[in-house]
Order: sequence, then C-alpha cells, then structure tokens
Amino acid sequence: MEIRYQLEKPVTLDIQMQVRDFTVLLGLSGEGKTMLLKAIAGLIPARGHPFGGLAAERRPIGYLPQGYALFPHLRAWENVAFPLPRGAGRRTQAMDLLARVGLADLAERYPAALSGGQRQRVALARALARRPELLLLDEPTSALDMATRDEILDELIREVHDFGVPVLAVSHDPHLAMLADHMAVLLDGHIVQEGPPRAVFARPATMGAARLLGFRNFLAGRIEETAETGMVVAGSGWRLRTGFQYGMHPGMSVTVAIRSEDLVPGDVLGVPAPNALKLKVVSLREEGVALRVRMEGACSLDMLLPRLQCEGRTLAPGATLWVQVAPEHVHVMIEVQ
Amino acid sequence: MSHGAAVGIGAGRQPSARWIATATAATVLTFLLAPFAALVFATDWHDFHFAPGDLAAIRVSLFYSALALALVVLAGTPLAWWLAHYHYRGKWVVDALLLLPLLTPPLAMGILLSSFYGPYSPVGGLLSQAGLYLTNTAPAFVLAQIYGAMPYYVLAARAAFEGVPEELEQISRTLGRNRWQTFWRVTLPLARLGLTAGVALAWVRAMGEFGIVLIVAYFPQGIPVKLWVNLEDMGLSAVYPLLWVFFLVAVPLPLWLGLRSRRQGMF
Repeated sequence: MEIRYQLEKPVTLDIQMQVRDFTVLLGLSGEGKTMLLKAIAGLIPARGHPFGGLAAERRPIGYLPQGYALFPHLRAWENVAFPLPRGAGRRTQAMDLLARVGLADLAERYPAALSGGQRQRVALARALARRPELLLLDEPTSALDMATRDEILDELIREVHDFGVPVLAVSHDPHLAMLADHMAVLLDGHIVQEGPPRAVFARPATMGAARLLGFRNFLAGRIEETAETGMVVAGSGWRLRTGFQYGMHPGMSVTVAIRSEDLVPGDVLGVPAPNALKLKVVSLREEGVALRVRMEGACSLDMLLPRLQCEGRTLAPGATLWVQVAPEHVHVMIEVQ
Repeated sequence: MSHGAAVGIGAGRQPSARWIATATAATVLTFLLAPFAALVFATDWHDFHFAPGDLAAIRVSLFYSALALALVVLAGTPLAWWLAHYHYRGKWVVDALLLLPLLTPPLAMGILLSSFYGPYSPVGGLLSQAGLYLTNTAPAFVLAQIYGAMPYYVLAARAAFEGVPEELEQISRTLGRNRWQTFWRVTLPLARLGLTAGVALAWVRAMGEFGIVLIVAYFPQGIPVKLWVNLEDMGLSAVYPLLWVFFLVAVPLPLWLGLRSRRQGMF
C-alpha cells in the first residue's frame, strides 16, 4: 500500500512511503509522527491518499493511539464490541476477537483493571473488529514495561500477521524498527530513506538517519582510492578500507559512519589486521553487561564492548588500545559534517 | 535510638492534628446545619396546617420547574457542548458574556427581563401580538426560572464536557461512529457525573428562584413567592408548613442524583 500525505498544520509534513505487512516509521519525538497518523485517520485536516476526503468514521482504518484510549466506562468486551453493529451476534463476535488476542478470561473487566499489555491487546481487538484495511499504531512500545516489552511486541507482530492487515507503526524506538518487515526514516518532515530494516540499518542515507538508527561515530574524510574490490577513505592521521560504493571517486569529501558495536579490539579480527587504529582510552562506562569505551587520537571513537570481549583485558583511562573495524562495517556517505 | 524517637514524636503529633481537623469540621458542619434543626423546633407540630393557596403554589412550582428544567437541559446542553469543543480567537469574550447572567443579582435580572419582554418593549409588543404575554403569566414564570437556572447548568455541563478526553471522542470516530453517535455513546456517559450535578443545581435554582420571579411573574405564585406572601400577611408561624414542603420537593431530586452518581462514579 502506498501512503502519500501532506499537511501544513500543526507541523509541516510531506510523506510518501510504502506500507508492507508490519511497517515502522522511525522519527524523532516532535517530528509529527502522531499528526501523520491522525491525518491518515481523518482526525485533522490534510491532503492525501488513500482515504483522502473521507470523514473519519468512513475511513477503513484501525487507530491505536499511545495509551490505547480504551473507553473507561465500558468493559473489555464492550470496548471490542463498540464498532460492531447492534444485533444478536455482537457479543459473540467481540468475545471471538478477545479470544484471538488471548484475553477471553478478562472480558468482563474494565480497562482500569487491565495491565498495559492487556489494554494494548483489547485496543487491537477493538480496532480489528471493524475489519480495517490499514492499522495505525502510535508508539506501540511506549506504555510497556522493559521486562515484558519484547514478549508483548513479538505477540503483537504475530497477531497482526495473523489478521493479515498491513500495519503502519510510528516510533522513535530503533529496536521496534529492527523487528519490522519494512521501515522508513522520517527527518525534517520528509521520508529520507525506506526499505527492509537490515538494509536501512546497515546503510543509512544521511547523517541524520544514521544518528536515528544508532550510529555514534562520524568521521569527516576524503576518498583516496576506489577499485572494484573496495575503497580507501582517509582523514587526518587515519585510513580505513571499505566496501565499494557506486558514485564515489577519489578526492570526494565524505563522512564515515561506524557503529559503536562494530568496533573491536585489535586482536579480534585476526591478522592481517584491516583498519587498525591506535588510540588512547579516555573514559570507560559500564552499560549493563557491556562496556562503553571512549577513545581519542587521530580520531575520536566510541566503542561498545560486549562482556565476552572484556574478559581477560585490563582497560583503564590513559591506556593505549588498538581497535579495528571490518571494511564492510565502514559506512561512507556523501555528506560533509 | 534517634530513629525510634522521631517515630514517637511523629506518632504523638498525628492524633492531635487529626483531632483539630475533626473538631473544626464538626464546628463548621454544626454552623451550617443549625438553622435546619431550629426549623424542627420552631414548627408548631400540633397545629400543622397549610395556608389557603399553599397547595396551588406547590403544584405551580413542581410543574413549571420541571418544564423549565427540561427546557434548560434541552437548550443548555448543545450550548455547553459547543463551548467545550470549539476553540477560536476571542473566546474569552464569550466566556465573560456567559458569566453575565450568572453574576447579575436576581432582582436586577428581573428588572432587565421586564424591560425586555414587558408589554411596552418592542419584543414584548411583538410577542403579545402573537398572543404570548410575558408578564404575570405561566410562560413568564417559566421564563424567569430559565434565566435563573440556565447559566448554572451551562457552566456545570461545559465543565463536564471539557472533562471528557478528546482522544476518546476521536477514537470513537475512527471506530465508525459519527459525531452524533459519539456524543451519545462516549461523551454523554463520560460527562454523566458533571451533567447530573448541573441538572441538580438547575432544579434547585429553578425551584427556589425568587428575585426574578417576583418582578416578572408575581402570578402564578410558586412556593418562594407564596412563602413571602404568607410571611407578610400572616407572620412567621404561617410559613413553616410550606417551608417543609419546599424542602421535601426541592432537595430529594438533587440528593438522589448526587448519591446515585457518586455510587456509579467508579468504573
């Protein structure tokens, strides 16, 4: 399904993107992601396709806002039955939907007596009761506890796949985008990149997108050599080999992006060591079971060391450290900082 | 050791604070309710009888107050909904204008009404040509009650509507319900507590309206004006029976509505 929407107030957005199965639109808070969903749902004035020009109640969409907006005066099953026409089968239909999201036992409860995950599933069942052609989810992970989040997300994605309705979820959470079938990145009111998460996370199109996707290291440099087998990028005091990318030629100013988790201590990738850099440890910080190492020298880099690689090493501020990055993990963008 | 001492002091202080709060509350409550107790003692229970015309006044008050209340709710609800839902520049002017009838003393309001709807005014003249006289008639009586009660109802209903999260109304639309259905199925049930309070308040205002009614519709006499007439003509002891009836008919509806909505307040 192709979505094309434009709105001017309260934020300026010009969105054109594909929605396939479970699609995540990744963007910073305040970018207008919620407004896009409201525009598609017909709740704020906007021009667009599909459903443009239809009144909100005539658009075949299901909308799950943040916090899910269950009706507090209705029981779980009555919430699900809300969009169903009055008739004999109304309760049975609602109960069937609740059973499909695994909540048949809680049908008589009011929303106040349900957990965050349970509310989300009631809201999902309610949205699906109308047989929508598109499901809109606003920050589906925001109201969930970290402890149960992954489980609930897996369940949610499985359920929406089961129902076979395409989903557009907006989020600022890269973790959710990783689980998607398709994703797009929203920056300054436009889609700057879209595609399968694997491709987007590996090759962000711009620095803004790279930041949003979790890249922390950006180095300004120049292309030194290009060949079919790869390229060499260099800056003041550093040289890095990378895979070949089309459209690059020697002398071009570029920005190199490297993920913190793609940097490894010098002995890990083996000999002959590609892309080895000698740097000085500036600071160390524990992040859960991993260790974040801040280094300076010819360039400043941030490395996230998994605990398996911390074993047997003594790292301290001031120590000299050889670090490496695989050429395929050095991402080059034609954009200067 | 010091920890134990701190707990001891805290525990010692709390009951005295609670005692002061309870005593204050009891004093204020007694002050508020004392006149009602006085009524019990002042009434001559051995010679409890109505003055001539009291029963007619009760009928007038009950019937026309119910009519006025129905009109207040019918006209005031859409206004309150509109005030709660539409935001535009200069809305504060509308808000201030809305407070005007509420803040105007009843007697002044009565004078305004008689100058506007009276037989010598252009509006009154037009209406009387159509056969509607708005001085000392049943329609005038209802009109006076509406002016007395409507501002209170609109304020309460507006607050009730503003308390309904807009998101729930929007979600209802995305679930295929139009504005009208959304109003009945989402807005109204969620605003119920506040609306009930508004209805109760309007009922008491309409029943007890004296100042406006006195000027605009001395006849037909309802309970408040009849109480005043009895007091003037026959003295204090002659008003107690009608006063008792006044309490009995004015208070139960709001009391019942209030208790009912409180019980159902928890979802």
